[in-house]
Order: sequence, then structure tokens, then C-alpha cells
Amino acid sequence: MSSVAMIEQTAGKGAARAAARKRKRNAGGAGANHRPGWVTYTILGVVLLISAYPLYYSFLLGTSDAQTIAQNPVPSLVPAGHFFDNMRRVLESDIQFWKALSNSVIVASLTSLSVVIFSTLAGFSFSKLRFKGRNALLVFVIATMAVPTQLGIVPLFIVMAELNWTGKLVAVIVPAMVTAFGVFWMTQYLEEALPYELIEAARIDGCSMIRTFWHVALPAARPAAAMLALFTFVGSWTNFFWPFIVLGSSNPTLPVAVQLLQASYFKDYSLILAGVTLSTIPLILVFAVAGKHLVSGIMQGAVKG
Amino acid sequence: MAVISPPDVAPDLEPAADRAPRRIAFRQRLGKWDVKLSPYLYISPFFLLFAIVGLFPLGYTAWVSLHEWHLIGGKGDFIGFENYSTVLHAAFFWTALRNTFSIFLLSAVPQVFLGLVLAALLDANLRAKTFWRMGVLLPYVVAPVAVGLIFSKMFADQSGLINTLIGHLGIDPIRWHADVLASHFAIATMVNFRWTGYTTLILLAAMQAVPRDLYEASVIDGASRIRQFFSITIPMLRPTIIFVVITSTIGGLQIFDEPKMFDQYGQGGADRQWMTVTMYLYELGWGSQKSFGRAAAVAWILFLIIIVIGLVNFSITRRISSAGSTAGRKSR
Amino acid sequence: MRKNSKLWALAAGVTGIALLATGCASDSPADDETTAASSDEKITLTVATFNEFGYEDLIKEYTELNPNITVEQKKAATSNEARDNMTTRLAAGSGLSDVEAIEVDWLPELMQYPDKFVDLTDADIADRWLEWKTAQATTEDGTLIAYGTDIGPEGVCYRSDLFAAAGLPTDRAEVATLLGGDSATWEDYFNVGKQFTAAGTGTPWMDSAGATYQGMINQVENAYEESDGTIIAADNPEVRDIYDTVLTASTTDGLSAHLGQWSDDWTASFQNNGFATMLCPGWMLGVISGNAEGVTGWDIADVFPGGGGNWGGSFLTVPAQGKHPVEAQALANWLTAPEQQIKAFVAKGTFPSQTEALTSPDLLGVTNDFFNGAKTGEILANRAEAVTIAPFKGANYFAINDAMQKALTRVDVDKTDDANSSWDKFITEVNTLG
Repeated sequence: MSSVAMIEQTAGKGAARAAARKRKRNAGGAGANHRPGWVTYTILGVVLLISAYPLYYSFLLGTSDAQTIAQNPVPSLVPAGHFFDNMRRVLESDIQFWKALSNSVIVASLTSLSVVIFSTLAGFSFSKLRFKGRNALLVFVIATMAVPTQLGIVPLFIVMAELNWTGKLVAVIVPAMVTAFGVFWMTQYLEEALPYELIEAARIDGCSMIRTFWHVALPAARPAAAMLALFTFVGSWTNFFWPFIVLGSSNPTLPVAVQLLQASYFKDYSLILAGVTLSTIPLILVFAVAGKHLVSGIMQGAVKG
Repeated sequence: MAVISPPDVAPDLEPAADRAPRRIAFRQRLGKWDVKLSPYLYISPFFLLFAIVGLFPLGYTAWVSLHEWHLIGGKGDFIGFENYSTVLHAAFFWTALRNTFSIFLLSAVPQVFLGLVLAALLDANLRAKTFWRMGVLLPYVVAPVAVGLIFSKMFADQSGLINTLIGHLGIDPIRWHADVLASHFAIATMVNFRWTGYTTLILLAAMQAVPRDLYEASVIDGASRIRQFFSITIPMLRPTIIFVVITSTIGGLQIFDEPKMFDQYGQGGADRQWMTVTMYLYELGWGSQKSFGRAAAVAWILFLIIIVIGLVNFSITRRISSAGSTAGRKSR
Repeated sequence: MRKNSKLWALAAGVTGIALLATGCASDSPADDETTAASSDEKITLTVATFNEFGYEDLIKEYTELNPNITVEQKKAATSNEARDNMTTRLAAGSGLSDVEAIEVDWLPELMQYPDKFVDLTDADIADRWLEWKTAQATTEDGTLIAYGTDIGPEGVCYRSDLFAAAGLPTDRAEVATLLGGDSATWEDYFNVGKQFTAAGTGTPWMDSAGATYQGMINQVENAYEESDGTIIAADNPEVRDIYDTVLTASTTDGLSAHLGQWSDDWTASFQNNGFATMLCPGWMLGVISGNAEGVTGWDIADVFPGGGGNWGGSFLTVPAQGKHPVEAQALANWLTAPEQQIKAFVAKGTFPSQTEALTSPDLLGVTNDFFNGAKTGEILANRAEAVTIAPFKGANYFAINDAMQKALTRVDVDKTDDANSSWDKFITEVNTLG
């Protein structure tokens, strides 16, 4: 269902008019519709090469062997033939790769879902609703981001031990269920992207607050929410220190498991980077699928779905 | 700080009582409670969770910082602010502060600048838009641990990719792990590699929300593209730029992973060339001294510094981006 | 150094004979105790280790011997991560494994809190370990907080092909004699180094000043602290003397390759004729053969300058917060018995700290193909016996040694300071301790 239709259905004509107005102002490119010249493509191409190279470098090393890596500071641009061999070594080692993979999927998915819902809810409240202490509370939320996390590990671990959560995935999921960053991000986004007319219209039509949120704020927040979900997913996927401390190697997430590849006689870069590449591939897949939606969400503007 | 949100005044959202029939008094009262309580209800998950995983650790840390407290041995005597004064008199603390700011500036400034330029390029009517937009975000999916591994290998002084390549150009090898500024530059590169695309997309998302009729109007007025960028785009991006600057300040001043993985010891170099404040904090607490008390004091000092810098940042960013924004805001 | 004694373990040239010899389970005296300790109740014990302890098969064996006990191993990649984990959980007061492996580097900081650990004193096995190994884990009032697992007796590893190119002898017995045999001194080691570099092969003599210093300082009984804990590092002429000697050899005489040990440059240098010799504790053999894969010519001489030397080694502790201290102690006891530790050596190359193991034919028969078929078991056993001094390591030892290693790195690797200015920084840093 297109969200404009949905808004008309649930929040009335006023909201739909506002939505349509918004759609109009998003039609067309920045300033002009003509295609940009080769300079733009060249700059972007160079940027893309630079940003892809380190990842490719990691893959190249993962297809190589330790000896070749040490002898050649600049790896050949063509992958060597050892990737499947290295991959097999990673999967056959005792790092529990598959369990770690499923743990990571569970943790990252649940965390993203929960962060998006709670942050959007709070962001809607902070950006569009009136209540006493709003500004002070928002400042407080932002200030909480400034607390250095390293020290919090000990008291947080005490909390988890009290709850008897150590070693369990819930100990990684719950502390990350809503973040100050998410709240701040959704607040800033909804500030711009959600016109008051829409809320007004919904309210006039007698929608309760939660229905207003569900039918007006949530659709308007979609592009930012997609982005937040992706960022949260990636952040959760790549997080190392806290999962390492609270879960340990017996119930690991991927980074905790992949890190164990270093526990051998010497630093075998081909093995480590093959593991790194393997653990990054799922993320690239998610990115390839979700990234497209994310980008199209941004492109089509806030309301039109 | 009280005006993080733009000065728009939220309209009264209670269902217009005048227009609504009076017969549904109960429902109205319910609606009133709905309006009064909902805002608090919606923000409560954050605050509830924060109380457990944020506030408790914060308070605990404050309490620890006022004591002689060994990480393993536990609480000792109450010593007031002695941990704070010890730390403020330690030369390493100031070295760490210098390094943190230097790395922060070397990463935050280019990132916002590059992010704006790239976002502007991506905002154009490109062919294969999705491809380009996803492309710039690609580095973000690489885990910090992997970034550390990859870049510390590339930046190795003798056997690294970068020194080997510039060697071919006849340039002397750069002493990435010995020279202060070079090490900061290398670490900032790791940060920029991973985060520039992210900043770009956030700015791009905001650019997409800028009403297109503003541009159309300015084209009629004969404004150039560059002029448009500075007098329309930047002012309209104000909340987002504030967001990016504040979050990158907060994140940047707590930088830990990248400098920690820059060499094999993770202590910021033999002469503490790249030891940051959080690394210093970690070394005090988890290193051989295990002074949890002093580490907690550093955490609180850092916390206060970040708040102050955040405020300064905020007011500067606001002033810069609000200059010339009046026209833009009025036309909305 | 501290960070990376992490690359544990050595690759023992695991010969078929050694495997066969240790393939069958032997009865250990600890078995009876274990049976006595366990009731009918089924329990699970956790053992936390890092790097390679070679316990995988032993744990299976233990579970077979004790059907009521399930043993789970929790691994950390590096000694550092294991230390972070253990420290955090000690600070939080819960969450530790029933048996926790620790490294000698972080033993002193735990020794100050013996009440956090079960007193493992057991008259039956008091003589199991080398005397100095037990002494490291015994507090002043005689509490034993940890059982020794392995040690790192040091020999000298060298590249025989580079020695040949420089006109030096290549046979390991001759090299031992060249370096001074039983009465080898550091002066001998550096003099041969000058002879080697004078031959003009262009290869430096040793990897770094820091690693060499570590070999030297480990032969001083009270280098940085008196046995009562008083810090003397700044005024101890022996420390300054070693510092000057090693830096003169490294920089003025140009013997050092100026590579920070464990850095990426250091790792890569194994493939590029980076240096001709290095001091090597047993576990370093695996590091060398791994990094130098495909390089021929590495060998190990049964000699060490200035008397014997030990670098590194680990222990097993039983944290007091565990639920099954008796069973955990029995497990730690069993794992550190000579029979088991020899199997671990054969599996992963962790050299045993148990006296009985040092004369075991299973151990003495181990050879290493990478090191030109050297009888590494026998050589390391000899090296272990040559260790006479157990350096005192008090609460501040590692902070001071760390500061010292940084001081050496500033001069040898980074070249940001000369010997004097770097020493001054070292003194400043030491003064902020205590």
C-alpha cells in the first residue's frame, strides 16, 4: 500500500494533501535535471576505488599465503588461488563459525528492530510533541553519548551478573535496545521530514497518539529508519569488546570467533584475513539488499513510499 | 543548548475541542491524558534502559573516582578529588589530550567537508544512482578490528604498502609509527576511511529533504550552482550538520579502537605519540597499575570536556549555518 | 614484550616416534584424588585458556576418567584479551571460569590478592615443579595461588646459511662453542656479532635491542625492586649498565635490525633475511617456523649468554568465586601433572615446568625438522636446567619493564631519542609509579 493512500485512509484528506505537497517538492534533481558531466563521475569513481581497495586488499591477502604476504608489501591485483583453502581452514578450526554466524544474525537483527522502533517513538515525541522538560531531556539524551564506554564495562558486567545473563545473547541485545544516537538521529530527521500539518490532520480526524505515530510518523520516518537500522545492524555486527567480555568464546558472535584465529603460533595473515572476509560477506549481502531499499527510500523522499 | 530543535513552536495538538462535538466527554478526557502522557511514554524506553546500563555505571564511576580503588583489590579510602588532581598533574594526560584533539581534527574536519562535497555530487541527477550511493558506504561494513589489521599492515614503516609505493616515486619512507603527526594522520585515515561514506549519506538524506522549489526559485534569480550550495543547501542542512558535528565530536574524542590497533602493543607508541585519552584511561585501569579510581577520574574529566566542546561546537555550527538562512526558512 | 608473549607455544617437530610414545594414557597420581573429590552429582567445570595450551585432547581424556564431570574450555585469542577478561570479572566479583590460566607477566598483580584465589598448596605435589617456578606463584606467607604449566627456557636461534656466508661455523655445537659454551657472556655474543657484521653480508646480527635486553635483565635478581618492594630501578647501576651495553651494541655497533618485536615489519623480516640471530625461548620456535615458512637455515644452539634464562610461562589458578573449588583444584592438579604436560608439549609445544618431565624420554626424544632436525626437547631441557636465577617481580615490575622497553624502542626503533634523553624519560615515568 502506498503510504499516501494509507494516510488518506487513516488520517484524512488534510494529511493526504500535505503528503502530496511534500511529494511535489521532492520531484526533480538538485537545481537542474541535466545529467552531470564526466568530472563528477571521475571524482566519484576515484572515491569508490579508494574506498573499495582496502576491502579488496583484505580479500587479496585472504587468497594468498603467509609467505607471499610477507615477501610482497604490494599484493598482486589478481587474487591468488588459496581462498577456498583458507576458507576451509577457517571453517575447520574450532572457532564455531556457524554458531557465531547465527548468534550475530540474531543479535544484529533484534537490536536493529528494537532500536528503530524505540528511537522513532522517542524521536517523534521529542521533535513533534509538546511536553514539560522536553528540551532538558533531549539535552540529557545527547549528553549520555559523551560518557566514555570503556569504564562502564565493570558496572555493566555487575548488572549482567546480577541478572544471571552472562554468557547469554540477551546480555548483548538488551543494553543496545535503544541508543541515544538513535533517538537523536530520529529527532533531528523527523524535525525536518514530518510536517505538523500531517499530525494535525491525523489528530483532527480523532487518531490517538499511538495511531498518529503508527500511521503518520512511522511512514514519514522510513528512510531515516532504514538508515538507522542499517547502521545499527553494522554496529552490532562489528562490535567486539563487550560481546567478548560478556559472552566469551563458548557462545561467541562473529568478531569474537574470528579473533580466535590469531590464537596460533604466529600471525598468519592469510588465515586471519580470510576469516575477516568471510565474516564481512554476510554484511555485504545485507548491504546489497537493504542498501538498495535504503537508497531508494532516500531518493523518493520522506512521504512517498 | 536548549534549542537543539529548531525554534518552530509545536502547535497545540489536542483535538480541536471547539470543532469536536461535546457529547464524547469521556473520550475527550481520555484524549487529554493521551496527549499529556504519551510523550513521556514514548521516550521512557530510552530512559529506563539508560538508568540500568548508563546511569548506574555513570554513578558508580563517579563514586569510584572519589576513592582509592584498585580494580581487583576493590575500594580503599575516600580521598575526595585527589585522583583528579593526580591525573591533571600527569604529563601523559596532557600528551593524551593533545593526541586526541589532533586526531579528532584530522578526522572530523575532512570528513564533514568531504561528506558535503560527495553528498552534493550524489545529489545530482546521476546515472546508476544506487550504485554510487551504496559504493561510498561500502567501507562502513568493515569491522573496526579488520580496519585496524588492514591499515596497520599498509602503514608498516618498512614492509608496508604505502611506504613501498611512495618509495617507487622516490619519496623517503614516512615514519608512521615514530613521527607524531604522521601517526595521527595514519589513524585519522582509518577513521575517515570507515566513516566518510556514512557522513555523506546522512548529509545526502538531509539534502533530499530540501524543498526543490527553493532551487527553482534561485535559478530564476540567476544564482549559480555554487551559490545555491552555500545559500540554500548548507543553511537548510543546519540540523543535520549540527547532528554530524556533535556526534563526531562525541565519538572522535572517545577514539579508542583505531589507535589501539595501530601497533602491536596498543599503548600509543614508545613515546606515546598516539596515545589518546581513552587509551590512557584504559591503561590506568587495566594496565599494571590497575587504578580504577584514577581511570574513573579520567573518564569524568573526559566526559566534561566532551560536554564543553559539544556546547562550543553547537553554538559555532549554529552561527555559521544560520547566517543567510533566513530567506530559506521564510520561504518554507 | 608483555603484550606479546602472547604468541605462545612452539611448533615442536612432532615426530612419529614421540606421538607413538605418548599415545597411550598413563595413570597419574592425581586420578585417585579426583575420584575422591567428585561425588555422584554431575557437574560442569570450565577452563579458560588463551593461545595454545594443547588441552583439547586432555580434556576429553579427563571427562572419560571422570564421567560425572563435564569440562568446557573457553579460549581467548591472546594473553592480553584473557587478561582483560579476567581483570574485568575479578573486579565485578563474578563470572570467572572454575580454572583460569594466567601468564607469568600478570601473575605479580594477582599475587597481591591471594584471597581471590583458592590456596592450592598440596604437600603431595610440592616437588612437582622447578623450584623457581613454584616460587613465582607463592606469596610471602607461603600460599600457592597457581600450578605451573609451562616455561620458556631460552637458547640462541640462528641462521646457519647466513653464518656460512659470513665465514662463521654453522654446526650447532660449534656455534655454541663460538658463543662461549657454558661460560658464554653477553660480551661474547656481541663480539661474534661484530665479527659477523664485519664480514659484510649486510644482514644485522639480532632483531632488536628490546628483546636482547629482556634476555639480559632476566638474569638480574633484583633489577627494579628490592624484595620488599622498594623501587630501585632509577638508581640500580646494573640496570643502567645493561641499558647502555645493549644500546651501544644495537646502535653504535649497528648489530640491531631495529625491528620492534612482534611488529608487522618484524614479522615480514623473517621472509627477507631480516637478521641472523635471536634469543629464543622454547615457544618462540613455533613463531619462527611459522613466520619463516619456506626459509631454510634456521637452527638452535644449546647455549645462552650470561648463564641460563627463562622468558614467559603460564600457570593455572582456581578463583575463589567458583562453585566447585575442590573439583577445580583436582582438575588443575591433573592438567599440570608431568604426564599431561608432556602430551601438551607434543601437541602444541608448551615446554613443561615439571622436573620429572625434563628427564622423560618422551620429551628428550622430540626433534624439530624446521630447525635442521635439532633435538629441541633435549636442548630446551638443558636450557631449563641452566636457569639458576629467578628474578624478583614485585607489584611494579611490569610497569617499570614496560617503561624500559619503550625507552629502548625510542632509541633503537623509532630513533626519536638518544640513549640519555630516553633514559631521562624512563626515570620520569618510573617516578610517577609507587
